[in-house]
Amino acid sequence: MKTIKLWRTFLEGVENYQRNGWLTFATVSILSLSLFVIGLTALIGFAGSLAVRNLENKISISVNFKPDVSETRILSIRDDLSKFKEISSITYVSKEAALDSFLKNGDPVIADAVKEIGENPLLSYIVIRANDPKDYNLIAEKLQTSTYQGDIEKVNYERNKQKIEGLNDLTTKVRSVGFVFGIVFTLIAVLITFNTIRLTIYSHRQEFEVMRLVGASNLYIRMPLFFEGVFYGLSAATVTIILLSATASVFSGNTGPLLSEILGGKTFYQVYSSFMWIFAPLTVIIGILLGVVSSFIAIRRYLKT
Amino acid sequence: MNSTQNNIDSGPEALAEMEPYMNDSGATSSHSDVSDMPMIHFDEVSKLFATGKPALENINLSILPGEFVSLVGASGAGKSTLLKLIYAEEIPTSGIVSFNGRDLSKINRKHLPYYRRNIGTVFQDFKLLPQKTAFENVAYALEVFGRTPEEILDEVPQILDIVGLEEKGRSFPKQLSGGEQQRVALARALILQPKMIIADEPTGNLDPVSAGGIIDLLLEINSLGTTVILATHNQTLVDRIGRRVIALDRGRVISDEMVGRYIMPERRRPRIIA
Repeated sequence: MKTIKLWRTFLEGVENYQRNGWLTFATVSILSLSLFVIGLTALIGFAGSLAVRNLENKISISVNFKPDVSETRILSIRDDLSKFKEISSITYVSKEAALDSFLKNGDPVIADAVKEIGENPLLSYIVIRANDPKDYNLIAEKLQTSTYQGDIEKVNYERNKQKIEGLNDLTTKVRSVGFVFGIVFTLIAVLITFNTIRLTIYSHRQEFEVMRLVGASNLYIRMPLFFEGVFYGLSAATVTIILLSATASVFSGNTGPLLSEILGGKTFYQVYSSFMWIFAPLTVIIGILLGVVSSFIAIRRYLKT
Repeated sequence: MNSTQNNIDSGPEALAEMEPYMNDSGATSSHSDVSDMPMIHFDEVSKLFATGKPALENINLSILPGEFVSLVGASGAGKSTLLKLIYAEEIPTSGIVSFNGRDLSKINRKHLPYYRRNIGTVFQDFKLLPQKTAFENVAYALEVFGRTPEEILDEVPQILDIVGLEEKGRSFPKQLSGGEQQRVALARALILQPKMIIADEPTGNLDPVSAGGIIDLLLEINSLGTTVILATHNQTLVDRIGRRVIALDRGRVISDEMVGRYIMPERRRPRIIA
């Protein structure tokens, strides 16, 4: 197709977009709504998995050693444990360091009492983090059965156990529910968009006949619709991004301390911003694809070949 | 017809050769000397509807370049089908329809737009694009063939002038009267300087004065050398034209006279005595 014809079909597309005021409005609205629902589902899924990751990082097992175990012994146990590939990091805190930290950050009344006694009541401990939260069970078992079991005063895994299992459960649920919702909404969005565009094209069906009669090739008739589809997609993507930003900033104002902690100290809007880097271009692409594919399929029946 | 007819090749280049004297303004001289080589030829053509009922049966006729032919007959006589066979919207069930010796059924559907450049069409319902102005409707026919903006700005006003609408270029179809809309359609049909104009009931929706105006325009176009095929059941108009008349009844040619009048088939003549 010659450049001048391509340019003309582009202009035709612009003209259709402008002159079909109401239909353009309806199509863009429906497409925006669809993209908004898809975007919101994806955003919630994104924030959810971010929260899960953050919670995962907060989980650890701490192992307190008996007061008479020497630092050398503890360090050798640490080195021994760090050979396991399930374990991502081990931090050693001596009882002196634990006391220092407690005197600085702990309850001043108790701190004074401890100073009064003049003896360190705290125990040395190591903090173990696993690569995968599912492995804490395994690590805890390993500690109970190891040769240095006698050196251990207490493993505070049991206390965290429920939290860990709850989290594992939540992660799986969030991911599968998000996935199913995402697919369902995407399907609905595609169907609605397709129908709307088909209606738009149906209202112009007689014009296609006239165009063919005057000597326009099928491609020449299709190209303006292609561009129209692109414009629908672009407009809808713009509307969607504005809507999503507005929604995110409204939520952001209400980010409570709990939500903020779950999101790793970020506001909801900050989470949204990092999400938009991926989602904005994706919205544009999905929007254009929806518009273009729908137009192409919908016009087929009106073009005899 | 046989293979002595020239090129069977149906590529777009070959079809473009069939283009009329595109920028040849001297072509106007050809109207009086009608050539012997038929422009349109029907050889034993039959066309069945999808239902199996015949729309046309055993049609044999030739139309020479420069002729003005009125095609008459009641609704359903087969006028529109015959015209559709000429501009290759339909292909015959049997027999051959040829244009300048080319079998139309052998043209690749993709190349039809090139063939149709040879033929301008006008219909009862005008078939204008409602979203476009009169000027844009005419310009569209040039745009689809990639003509330059300069050519368009040059040619469209000229043709609008010929059909008497030089002032109405900016009007949309719904702002124009029926007669004016048909003039726009005629301007669009003429803009590519076709060899032939096919008019299917062009006056069907018009008042007698507008209808007369359209027929006068068609006669004028014909006098400049363009073949005109007019399908109508308007007896007054046909009798006024006084040129070749082909009468169809139930899919058959019942009369074909060089200076004809409107013919009514026997069975439809009103009886004086009941």
